[in-house]
Amino acid sequence: MNDLTMSSLSLEFFAPVGLFAQAGGGSNSAIITFAIYIVLVMVLAGLSHRLLQSKSFMSEYFLGSRSLGVWAFALTFAATSSSGGSFIGFPSLVYTHGWVVALWIGSYMVVPIFTMGLLGKRINQVARKTGAITIPDVLRDRFDSPGFGGLATVLIVFFMTFNLIAQFKGGSTILQTLLSDVPLFQDAQVLTSHALAGVPFFGAADAGYFLCLLVFTAAVVVYTAYGGFRAVVWTDVLQGVVMVAGVLIMLPMAIYLVGGMEKATKEIARMTPPKAVSLLIETDEPLASPLVLAKNSWLVSGGEGEARRVFRLAAEARIESGENTAEVKTEEDAPQHIPAIEITFPKHIAAARPTKFTSGGQVVSVRQKVVPEEQKEKVGYDGDGQAGVYMKGPGIDKSSADGFLPLGLAISFFFMWNFSGAGQPSNMVRLMAFKDSNTLRRAIFTVAIYYTLIYFPLVVIFMCAKVLLPGWETDSDRIMPEMAKALTMAMNMPWLAGLLVAAPFAAVMSTMDSFLLMISSALVRDVYQRNINPDAPEKTIKRLTYVVTVVVGLTAMLAAVSPPQFLQDIIVFTGSGLSTSFLAPVSLALYWPRFNRQGAIAGMLSGFLTHMLLYAVGYFESGGKIEPLQLFGFHPFMVGALASAVVSVVVALTTTPPPEHLVRKFFYRD
Amino acid sequence: MTSPGETPHGNSVDDRPPELDPIFVHARREAVVILLVFFVCLTWSVGFYVVDGLQPPGAAAQSTPTVWGLPRWVFWGLLCPWLAVDVFTFWFCFYYMKNDDLDGGGSPQAEGEPGHE
Repeated sequence: MNDLTMSSLSLEFFAPVGLFAQAGGGSNSAIITFAIYIVLVMVLAGLSHRLLQSKSFMSEYFLGSRSLGVWAFALTFAATSSSGGSFIGFPSLVYTHGWVVALWIGSYMVVPIFTMGLLGKRINQVARKTGAITIPDVLRDRFDSPGFGGLATVLIVFFMTFNLIAQFKGGSTILQTLLSDVPLFQDAQVLTSHALAGVPFFGAADAGYFLCLLVFTAAVVVYTAYGGFRAVVWTDVLQGVVMVAGVLIMLPMAIYLVGGMEKATKEIARMTPPKAVSLLIETDEPLASPLVLAKNSWLVSGGEGEARRVFRLAAEARIESGENTAEVKTEEDAPQHIPAIEITFPKHIAAARPTKFTSGGQVVSVRQKVVPEEQKEKVGYDGDGQAGVYMKGPGIDKSSADGFLPLGLAISFFFMWNFSGAGQPSNMVRLMAFKDSNTLRRAIFTVAIYYTLIYFPLVVIFMCAKVLLPGWETDSDRIMPEMAKALTMAMNMPWLAGLLVAAPFAAVMSTMDSFLLMISSALVRDVYQRNINPDAPEKTIKRLTYVVTVVVGLTAMLAAVSPPQFLQDIIVFTGSGLSTSFLAPVSLALYWPRFNRQGAIAGMLSGFLTHMLLYAVGYFESGGKIEPLQLFGFHPFMVGALASAVVSVVVALTTTPPPEHLVRKFFYRD
Repeated sequence: MTSPGETPHGNSVDDRPPELDPIFVHARREAVVILLVFFVCLTWSVGFYVVDGLQPPGAAAQSTPTVWGLPRWVFWGLLCPWLAVDVFTFWFCFYYMKNDDLDGGGSPQAEGEPGHE
């Protein structure tokens, strides 16, 4: 223990460089904005439900009767693609890795024309010819193969269920941040905590998170189940407007507060990355009452003649009554090495002030020791403490020595966002729903402008966040709501926080409702109506649809009670899994007359299995993390999609040609 | 792969030589242009990254010139092509892509309308 550094801590608040670490207030207006937003969504669901009464149930409920106009089609497409990842995971990546993330997302410059233009016209035409309502419907009819339709249904349900759980987590986390300062919510949190204590399964859940999960689930499930596809589309339009408005409001505020981009970028160029450390935290005497050291608390050490050191906790810790050593709050064990980061950028060190801790109404002074690292092989690239790591690639990455975006991955992601987007069944369904090809042409351009206004500005905003809100590497998934709160507080417009935080909330909702409906349609239409009871009366189908939508939503909520970590990783896993399975078979089905059922099934299975294999190997190699094996430095999507395409073509060419009537039907004039 | 004008496999179901669906032909041609644009953007952006934006982990820190407050490689390698693609998309959607009748096989466009052959 002699080699540990130990210092007592002063008790001041952190006043980060020119701004606010503890943005508070404004949440009453935020909760009002949120409530108005939910009411609007419910009104739209009600209107959709009325429309539903006058149309064919299946076609209207799952596809909006193929009558979407430009704005509805463009914004539902854009909003569905912009998931929780866009407003939670993506800002977190920008904040953590720096400017290199602009290239990570850079291929969104071609995503609209690629994902809508490549398959849009053909898939819409084929779906009209066959009367298809879902993607498995299209595949089943194109190859006259119920088995292939069934396989597609299973894969959609498998991947989308994973994604839905991650989206539930994202939405609930955002809502929790939004409401964290509201007294009513804090009281409800305490009540929920008491109610859940000792209840199996739910007892371990964070009370605030659980409460938000309940509200979130109720809102999404009710409006989706009640209004169907039309409600999802109309709410997507509302959510799409909220998202772009949120970004366009935040952009000038962020640039203004950092003093212009030139100044911000120069400061970022001088920044050095924080170091991951473990702390041993103690008090002089055993405490009479328990002390909670909240996650993201600041600890500052050093004084006269001693170098100043600044730490931020990456986990919540507690010192129980009668004890004087902090332990991490976990269920099974209570390690005394508290994970934290040490700030290394001199400007941030000089400005830091520690969090004030109180126990039993008394201010408590704590001291910390940095636990020396055991000698072990360095796994990732931590930037080596150098300035400039946020300005260029590959960017720091704790898990890869090659950094965040080496060349192979840069190419992979450029491919992935486009090919993966084109291969998403949720996008394909929307391509089946537009009214005519003129709508498609206008919508592609609309989405192109929309993405330009969303993604590049998001990079700029969260590079500014590095200057305005240092130290959030401990909890970077919260940077978006924290930035929204901080900007509105600094501009003295707290009422705006609700709208800004509604943007990521809208992003999550617009994706969740679509995925919920996809799973529901797969089960009701593809499994029940087409395979079990083709003659089921509309009344039965209606009732079953409502029940299935609600049950799927509640199941995903239960799975999200113990929230999965790594939101962005799960979203990438499911997105790339779906597209490796669907892209080649669907594209070849639409554009290659010689393509047959055997090739399609083999292509879909090979894409799926390759993707799963690479993730499974990576999972075991990394000791339980969602880190796929990157064969030759490429993302599994690239390898899986290539395998799927090659197998599709080879198997199709080596088996019997497709029946002539199918070729005539789909590739020749009637 | 069957090309325009070819017959499908085997004998035709009637005596008329089958004619490829014009929507299929239009969509395929548009898809080829989209793929070309994608590869141009990939080459430009990743190329700029390699030349000006990538430095091997552990290499000595280099200064990064800026343009309008953005790192130079971000400005030229990402922002500029992004705006250029928006202009291209406008041309593609309104002057190149066909306004096909998706319920039938023909084109509803009038002579002189953008996108009409």
